[in-house]
Amino acid sequence: MSRDPIRHLAVPAIGSALLFTLLVAGGLLYTSFGGLAREGLVTQMFINAIIVLGIQIYVGNTGVLSIGHIGFGSIAGYAFAVCAISPKRKGGQIPDAPWNLAEVDLTPLESGMVAVGLTVIVAFVIGLGLARSGAQSGAVAATVITLALLFVVHEVARNWIDLTRGGKTGLSFSPLGNATLQGRGWVYILLAGSILVARLFRESRTGRLAQAAREDDLAARSMGISPPVQQMVALVLSVAVVSAGSALRVFELGSINPRLFFFDYTLLTLTMLIVGGRSSVSGALAGVVIITAGSELTRQLSGPNVEVAALDWLLREGLTDIFLGGAMLGFMILRPSGLFGDLEVDRWLMRFSRRREIEPDRPPVGAVSKGTLTARGVTVDFGGFRALDGVTIEASTDEIVGLIGPNGAGKTTLLNVVTGLVEPSSGSVEMGPQVLDDTPAHEVARAGVVRTFQNLRLFGGLTVRENLEASRLIAQRHRADRPQPPVAALVVQAGLWELRDRRASQLDYGNARRLELARAAAAAPDFLFLDEPTSGMGDAESVAMIEQVRAMASMVGAGVVVIDHDLNFITGICDRIYVLDQGLLIAAGTPEEVSTDPVVQAAYLGASAPANQ
Amino acid sequence: MIEVVQQVVDGLGRGGIYALIALGIALIFGVMHLVNFAHGELITVGAYTSYWLFNTDLDWWLVTPIVVVVAVLTSVVIEFVAFRWVRGASDFTMLMTSFGVHFVVQALFVMYVSANFRQFPRPGWIFNTVRVGGVSLEVFDLVVVSVTLASLLAVYWLLQRTLFGISLRAAAEDFDAARLMGIRSNRVIRGAFALSGLLAGVAAVFWLMRSGQASPTAGLTPMLKGVLAALIGGLGSLSGAVLGGIVLGLVEVLLISRLPGGIAGLTDGIVFLLIALLFVFRPQGLITVRHAERV
Repeated sequence: MSRDPIRHLAVPAIGSALLFTLLVAGGLLYTSFGGLAREGLVTQMFINAIIVLGIQIYVGNTGVLSIGHIGFGSIAGYAFAVCAISPKRKGGQIPDAPWNLAEVDLTPLESGMVAVGLTVIVAFVIGLGLARSGAQSGAVAATVITLALLFVVHEVARNWIDLTRGGKTGLSFSPLGNATLQGRGWVYILLAGSILVARLFRESRTGRLAQAAREDDLAARSMGISPPVQQMVALVLSVAVVSAGSALRVFELGSINPRLFFFDYTLLTLTMLIVGGRSSVSGALAGVVIITAGSELTRQLSGPNVEVAALDWLLREGLTDIFLGGAMLGFMILRPSGLFGDLEVDRWLMRFSRRREIEPDRPPVGAVSKGTLTARGVTVDFGGFRALDGVTIEASTDEIVGLIGPNGAGKTTLLNVVTGLVEPSSGSVEMGPQVLDDTPAHEVARAGVVRTFQNLRLFGGLTVRENLEASRLIAQRHRADRPQPPVAALVVQAGLWELRDRRASQLDYGNARRLELARAAAAAPDFLFLDEPTSGMGDAESVAMIEQVRAMASMVGAGVVVIDHDLNFITGICDRIYVLDQGLLIAAGTPEEVSTDPVVQAAYLGASAPANQ
Repeated sequence: MIEVVQQVVDGLGRGGIYALIALGIALIFGVMHLVNFAHGELITVGAYTSYWLFNTDLDWWLVTPIVVVVAVLTSVVIEFVAFRWVRGASDFTMLMTSFGVHFVVQALFVMYVSANFRQFPRPGWIFNTVRVGGVSLEVFDLVVVSVTLASLLAVYWLLQRTLFGISLRAAAEDFDAARLMGIRSNRVIRGAFALSGLLAGVAAVFWLMRSGQASPTAGLTPMLKGVLAALIGGLGSLSGAVLGGIVLGLVEVLLISRLPGGIAGLTDGIVFLLIALLFVFRPQGLITVRHAERV
C-alpha cells in the first residue's frame, strides 16, 4: 500500500524522462538558432541544473536551509582540478603541492570520482555536526554551520597557496584557462542521472520520512521517525550530486578560483531553487530555466550593445544582480513556495493511476496478545516546581483508560514522560518486560507507544494519505508483528476518503483531529495516547469521537490512554479513570466510582469537601 | 601582563562594535523571529554616506550623527519594503527574505555607485595611544568601549523605563498576547528596526574609522560578525548579544596575536570553525536564555 511501485517508481521515472526531454529539447532548440555563445550558455545551464538538483535533494526534502552546498562544490572542484590537471601544468602552477599531488595524473573520470568521494566524506562529518545541532526545518544553527562551511572553505582556498595557488590566479587546465569540456556526453548523463535521483528520492521511503520531519519534527519523532538518519542520507546524496556537478563545472570552465564557488554562485543557485519551488524537482528545473533566461537577458541589456538613452539609469552593470536578488525577494514575499509549490509534472499520471481506486472495506481485526504499560512512581521537577509527585498508572491493551484533572494537574507532563519527551526526576515506565526509561521519543514510538498532541501536529504540507503513509513506513519496519490495516481502510474509518489527496493543512478542525488519530493508529501501536482528542469540538462531534477512538483502537488492537476535559466523552469511553490534581494521583476507579468520590469533587469544584490528603 | 591588558582592551574595542551590531540583530529577532542577514546593509549605507560627506570636507563630529540618522531611516525603509510582508511567515521564508534584501541593496550600490572600493581619510586621533600605568592603549579602543557602554546603558534605560521599551519587550515575549493587550504591532516593529538601525549607525561609524573604505560589500563582514555574536549569545537575549559580541572580539584578538604567521590569514576561517563547533555542541548558544529573561 505505502510501497506502491507505480506511484513511487514508474510515475516518477516517467516524469524524470519527461523533464529531461523538455530541458534538452528546449536547449537544442535555443542553440540551433545561435552560435557558440548560446551553446556555452546552455551547457552552463545544464551544469547549474545538476547542482541545483543536488541542493534540492537536501533543502527541499528536509527543509533545512543550507547556504553551504556551494562550499561542498568548492571542495569537489579543487579536488577535481588538482587530480585532473596534467602533472606538467601542475609543475608550473603548484610545484610544492603536499603529498606529491603535483605528480598525480588521473583521467577526468577518475578525478571526478575522487572529487565526489572526498566531498561525500566531508559531508558525512558535517552531517554528524548538523545532527548534533538539532537540524530541522528553519533551524538557524544548522544554517549557520553550513554558512561557516562556505566561508571556511573559501578562506582555506585563498590561503593554502601550495595546493590552490591562492585567490588571485587559481588553477587552470590550459595556459589560456579556456573551456576544456570536449563533447557534452557527460553533461547529459549527469543531468539525466541527477533528475532521476532527485525525483526518485522524493518518493523513496527516506525521502518521505524526511518530508514528514520537515513538516513537523516533533510529531515525526513521536511517530517513530528519527529525522537525523533521513537528513544524513539526504545530505550525502545531495552532496554527491553537487560535487559531480561542480567537477563538471570546473572542467567546462577549464579553471577554478575561490570566487567561483562562493557567495555569488550561492545566490544564483539558491534563487534558481526557490523561484521554481524547492520542494519539487520540476520546480527546481523550472527555476533554473527562468533564472538562466532572466540573467542572460539582463546581462545583454546591461552590456555595451544595448544603448537606450531613456533607460540608461536601469541598463547598467549590476542589473543582473538586482534581477537575482529581486527574484529571491519577490518570491519570498509573494509566493514563498515558488512557482510549482510541491507539484511535479507527472502529477497527472499519478491522478490517472488513481482513478480506479475503490473505497475499501474495513478489514477484520487481527488477534493480538495482551500487554500492559506501567508508569511507576513518576516524579517530575521543573526547576523548583514539582509537576508530578510519585504518580503510578497502569493500562492494558484491552482497555481504554482516562486521565483527568484540572488544568496544571500534570496530565500532559505524564504523557510526555511516557512518550520520552520529558525525563522524569525519578520513576520508571515499563511495557511488559521492556523498560522505556531514558529512551528517545522515536524509540518509544517504535516500541509501541504513539501519541497525539493537544495542539494538533499534522504534517501540514503532506496529503491525508501521505500523513498516514509516513507513519506506516515506520510500522512496516519496526512493528511488523502487529496488525496493520491498510492505510486506505484507516482513511475510510476516519471519514476522510473523499479528502484523501487533500493537504492536511487544509482540513477543518474535526477532520484534522480524526486524521491525527488515524495517523497514530497507522503506526500500529500497542498503546495510543490521546491528548485532548475532543478539545474544541461540539457535543455531537465529541460523542462521535467515542466511536471513532474505539474503532481505531480495535483495528490495530491497541489500548488507549486518553486525556480530556469533556466529562461526557470521558465517562462514555473509559473503562477506568485516573484523577490527577497538582501532580498527585488523587483517585482511580471506574467512571461511577470516580464521579462520586468526594476528593475528586473537591478538586474539580473546590467546594466544601474534605481537604486533600 | 601589560600585553594582556592591551589585548583585552583591544578585544573590548572590537567586541564593542560587534556588540552594537549583535544587539540590533537580537532586537529584531525578538520582535519578529527574523535573523536579519540584511543588517550589514545599514553599515554599507553608512559607509557610502560617510564617503560622500567626506568629499564635502565635513568634520567627523558632524558626519557621525548624519550617518546614524541615515542608518535609522534605511532600517525603517527596509522593514517597510520587505520585512513587513513576511511577518509570521516560516523561518525559511524570513531567512531567504533577509538574504534577498542583502543582495538587492548590494546590487543597487554596484549599479548606482561603483563595484570598487572607495577610500576616505580617517581622523588622525584614532591612531593615538595613551599610556596608563605603563600600558599603552589606543585612544580609539577607549572611545569605542565608552561609547558602546553608553549606548548599551541608553538602550537598557529605554527598554526598562519607557513605554516604548516595555511594549517592545512585551512584543518580544509574546507577540500575539502583546497585540491583544493593545500594543500596536506596526509601531513596535518599526521602533525595533529604528533602534537597531541606530545601533548599527553607531557601529558603522566605528567600523569605518577602522577600515576607511566603502564598497558594496562593506557590510558583509560586520553583519556576519554581528549575527555570530547574537547567535553566541543565544539569539533573542539582549544581554546575551552584548556578551556574545565581547566574547567574539576577545577571541579574535587572541587568535590574531597567537596564531603563527603562516596561517594568520585564516583568522576569520578559524573563527567560523569555532562558531560552527559551538553550534554543533550548543545550538542554543553559549548562554541558555531562560524564557522569563527573554527580551
